[in-house]
Parts: sequence; C-alpha cells; structure tokens
Amino acid sequence: MQSSYLHKKKILLVDDEPELLSMLRSFLTADGFRSVVSATTMKDGLAIARSESPDLAILDVMLPDGDGFMLMQQIRTFSQMPIIFLTARDEAADKLAGLGLGADDYMAKPFLPQELLLRIYAVMRRCYKEDTSLIALDDCTVDLSRAQVVREREVISLTAKEHLLIETLARNEGKIVTVDALCEALWGDNPFGYENSLNTHVRRIREKIERDPSKPVSLITIKGLGYKLNTRE
Amino acid sequence: MKPYTKYLSKCLAAFAGVVLLLLVSNLLAFGGTFCGMIAEDYGTFSPARMLDNISAQASPDGIARAAAGQLRDAQIWAVYLDETGKVLWKENAPDEIPDSFSVPDVAAFAKGYLADYPVFIRNTDGGMLVLGYPKGSYTKLPGNYLSTRSVRRLPLFAAAVLAFDLAALFSAYFYSRRKIVRSTEPVIASIEMLGNGKPAALTLRGELAGVAESLNRASQVIARQNQARANWISGVSHDIRTPLSMIMGYAELIANDSAVNGDIRKKAEIIGRQSVQIRELVQDLNLVSQLEYEMQPVQKTTVHMAGLMRTYAADLLNGGLPVQYTVEVKISPAAETATVSCDARLLTRAVNNLVQNSIRHNPGGCDVVLGLGCTADKVMLCVADNGIGLSADKQKELNEKPHYIESADDRLDLRHGLGHVLVRQIVKAHNGTVQIESEEQKGCKVTLTLPRG
Repeated sequence: MQSSYLHKKKILLVDDEPELLSMLRSFLTADGFRSVVSATTMKDGLAIARSESPDLAILDVMLPDGDGFMLMQQIRTFSQMPIIFLTARDEAADKLAGLGLGADDYMAKPFLPQELLLRIYAVMRRCYKEDTSLIALDDCTVDLSRAQVVREREVISLTAKEHLLIETLARNEGKIVTVDALCEALWGDNPFGYENSLNTHVRRIREKIERDPSKPVSLITIKGLGYKLNTRE
Repeated sequence: MKPYTKYLSKCLAAFAGVVLLLLVSNLLAFGGTFCGMIAEDYGTFSPARMLDNISAQASPDGIARAAAGQLRDAQIWAVYLDETGKVLWKENAPDEIPDSFSVPDVAAFAKGYLADYPVFIRNTDGGMLVLGYPKGSYTKLPGNYLSTRSVRRLPLFAAAVLAFDLAALFSAYFYSRRKIVRSTEPVIASIEMLGNGKPAALTLRGELAGVAESLNRASQVIARQNQARANWISGVSHDIRTPLSMIMGYAELIANDSAVNGDIRKKAEIIGRQSVQIRELVQDLNLVSQLEYEMQPVQKTTVHMAGLMRTYAADLLNGGLPVQYTVEVKISPAAETATVSCDARLLTRAVNNLVQNSIRHNPGGCDVVLGLGCTADKVMLCVADNGIGLSADKQKELNEKPHYIESADDRLDLRHGLGHVLVRQIVKAHNGTVQIESEEQKGCKVTLTLPRG
C-alpha cells in the first residue's frame, strides 16, 4: 500500500521550541509532505486548528500557556483529527492520560525523524483510507474496497477474515506483523488459541494470491514471529 | 536470637560477672587484712595452745622451768587453784591477784576477766590452771548464748535468704531485659528499615519518644534527599531531550540528504548513532533512579509473555537491524500461554537493553536468540548471542561489583554499563532473578526468571 497519497494531508505542529518546529518541518517536507503549519503556543495552535483544519496534529505536552492535553480537549470539541503527542516526560501516566483522552499515539523525546514518520504514517493510514485501495502484489492485485483478488483475468473473492488479514498486513506493508497482532485484529481482545485458524486463513489467502502457494513471495512467514506482506513497488 | 538481644544479655551477664568479682575481691581483701591476726589467735601463744602446753607441764606442786620461761616471754601470768579456791602457786602474776578465790569469784572470772586481765582456765587432775593475758589483748563475750532452736534454724534461714535474693536478682534482670528489648525493638526495626532504604515512621511514648522523633526526622531527611536526587536526574534528563531531538533530527536529515558530500553524510550518521546512545543512557539513568527511589510505581498488568517477546522482536526487525545481526524468537510450547504480572513497558526495556548489549559488544555481528520457557511457577526469559562473550573476570564484575550509581566508591570502573543495572532493577521490581552465563568467544546468555502470574 503506497503512502504517498498521504503527502497531501495537512499537518499541524505545536511545540514551544521554534527550532524544533523548523527541524520537524524540514524533515516532513523532505519526506514529501507539502502542507505543514505550526504554532508555539496553545492559543495559536487552537486558532490554526480552527482556521486551517489540518488532517493531523502533533502536539507537545508542555506548552507555555497550558498543556497538550488541554489543547487536545479543545480541538476535540470541533474536530476528530488524529493527534500524536510529543513528550519530554516518558512516565507511563502521561501516556495513559494522553491515550485515555483519545490521542492516537505518542512519541517520547528525543526521537529519530524516521521513528516519528513511521508513527505519522501508521496513524494516518488508520484514519484515511486510500481512495483506490489497490495493493499491487507480485502475481496479482488486491482490491480492498471490493474484497477481491484480480489475477490475470480471474477475479477471486476474499472472505471477511481474509480481507481483514490482508488489510492489516497491507497497513504494515514490508513490516513484520506478529501472530499476536494478527489474532487480535481478527478475533479481538483475547486472542489466544487462534494460531491454527490463522494458519488456515493464511494458507487460503496464499492459494488466492501466490503463483506457487508452497513457495510464497508476497505473504511470507517470519519464523517464530508472524507474517509480512511484500508489495510490488 | 537477634543480635541486639544477645548484646543486652551480654551486658547483663557482664554485670553479674562484676558482682561476682566484687564478692571474690572482698573476700580476698578480708583475708589479706585479717590473716595475720587469725594466725596469732590460733598460733603458739593462743589461749587454747597455751592452755594445752602449760597444763601438760603444770601440777599442784608447781610448773616446769621451760613453761615458766614461755609464760614470761609471752607476758602471760599463771595461777593454780585447788578444789577449795586456794592458790597453790603463782607464776609471773601481778600483785592484785589474791591468794584465794571464793566460788562466786571463780564463776565471775571463768567467763570473763580477772582484774581486767582476760583469763583462760583449764581444769586438770590436781586443780585448776588459770592463765592471765595482758590487759586489752583479748575481748571476751560474757553474755554470749543462743537458743538451740535458733542455731538449728540458722542454716535453713541463710539458704532461704540466699535463694530469695537470687530469685529477686534474676527476676529483676529478666524484667529489665524484657522491658529494654520491648522498648528498643521498634527502634531497632525502624533503623533496619532505614538501612534497607525504606521510610520509617515510629511512634513511641515515654523516655524513647525523643529517639523515635529523631529516627523519623532522619527518615524524612533521607526521603527528601532521595526525592531531590530523583527529581534532579529526571529534570536533567527532561531538559536534555529537546536539544537531543534536534541533534538526532538534523544528523538524520544530513545523513539522508543526497545533495551532501558522502563523507559528511557518514559523519552525520555517526553523530546520529551516538545521539541514540545518549538517549538510551538518559532514559536508563532516569528509569534507574525512579526505580531505585520507588518514585515510579511499577504498573503491573497480566502480560502474555510470548506476545511481548514477538512484538519486541518484530519492532526491532521492522526498525531496521544491520545485516550482520539476526534475531530469532524461540518459545517453548508450554510457555506459549504463560503470563506474568508485570509492567510490559519496563520488561520490554529490560529485554531491549540485553539485546542492545549484544549488538553493541559485537560490532562484527552476531545471532541473537530470544528464548522463552517456563516451569509450573516461573517464566524464564532469555537473551543469548553467539558473539565474543564475557571473560570470567568481567562476568564476576557484573555479578558482584555495584554500579557507580549505587556506590560511593569513586575508584569504581565507570565504564561498567548502566543498561545492566536497569535490567537488574527492573527484574528486582518484579521479584525475579538475573543470571549471566558466558564464555569468552562463545557468546553470552542472560536469563531473567520471573514468577508466573
């Protein structure tokens, strides 16, 4: 699943450190984001959130005229945009307070730009589905919006669980997704004892998407950990 | 027996010893002072010996010459009376001694003095020998008598008094000891708690109330200092975060910028890598101090360990591991469903520190295996590599030497990793144990054993 469709989304940055803002802006633009707005105070941040209606907000927890949690509460009165917190405190309480209020993720300072980008993409992919929802694989194309595999001229339908499985893997395209995460995505909060069912679903998907299901190249097993979906660039 | 009750017993035993010693020394002093006089009282010139001696050499007719000499030497006079009280002879006697005595006279001096001379008598076959000692040389007790009943009771009385005294002394000892132990026990317990780094809050009434107050004050001072230290560390690590974010960010931007000269990009990569090291250090330092002073309660939830290990390994691989390293997760079938009541964030941090140690110490690459096994009541989490391993000395050091953050000894080796201290702290906070097995060139294996739950 390509992420470039996300580059047209507008990102709001709020941090009291102007130099940090300009650095964040540098690497967001370097990565392809075209629209980045920023503020150094809670008041300005709130005004920009209203006037510019960004698609994602990255808020520092400590602001000169309040804190990021207060800012989020006020933003939530008019917008459901995804929010990622930046925090210089790594206490668990901060994390819980943030996520409990409906934050989508948090990032402890200091962080590598790549780490923040990964989270931005992960959060945005969850919130903004790609319009086409096409995944190009080695031997076929998966159309998530129709739950279909298109292979040469053949069209094969996906079951609900298979669709969910492929979607979960596609969201983390090129990354390992653990069996635990997959079981949780497929069967919910108490995902124990579903490993065999998961294997079965994986086998059936391979029969639909792989040229040789016994030698998979798209949906591959990472021994002891989980699975990975390789897409065609 | 606790050390301090032993100490008290020792003190009281020493006290009893002193009492005994005192008695013995009194006896010795008494003996030293009086032994000369006692020897005299019972020696050659003593009344009993003299009576024996002289009566053997005296008769109604007179006294042997040698005996007379003896009497003169000892300044003793002698008279010899017949049965009617008439003096048969005198030897060396002063003038005031009469020539005959009536029965009342004899009865009077027999128990006491004759003209102020202490006299001693002996009845012989022919009459009565009277020896007169110099005036003032002996004291006689004319009214000395006791009823047989009371004399018979005396040993019993003495034994009873002795037994009573001993019992009274012992119970005084016993109760005072118990009282001291009882009143000092809470104080000692509080001191022990302080020694273990726990706060003490003691309330005592009476004489020891002041001691309790000082102890509580000491506890508060320690708590305040610990709090200040933890706050200080957390403040410094907080303040370092934003500047470090900038260093890391720009280093990565330069390293990824294709317009920049390759050599500079390499240098920027090094800056980035080292900044990550600083970040790890700062986080470790903060966590260690928070755990050390129990500033941060461990948020325990029931965690599925196999999932935690897989998630960690997947994140590590997804984050991009250099090609010379491999990571494999091996979970025994029994451990697949094992859970531990723990803080997942802290345990992940511990596993990460162990894995990062393996990576850091093996720049040429190594294979890391994350293992999970279990018994009926324990979960064993292990991180093993096939790298350069640890020398026996280094292993011993890791197991025994305290880290500089835990020690006031400034000669300690400061290179000794903080990451390992944090691992131990985290495992300790979960009531677990850490075991390191390693052989040089054969890799290193660290096992964390945690209670299941």
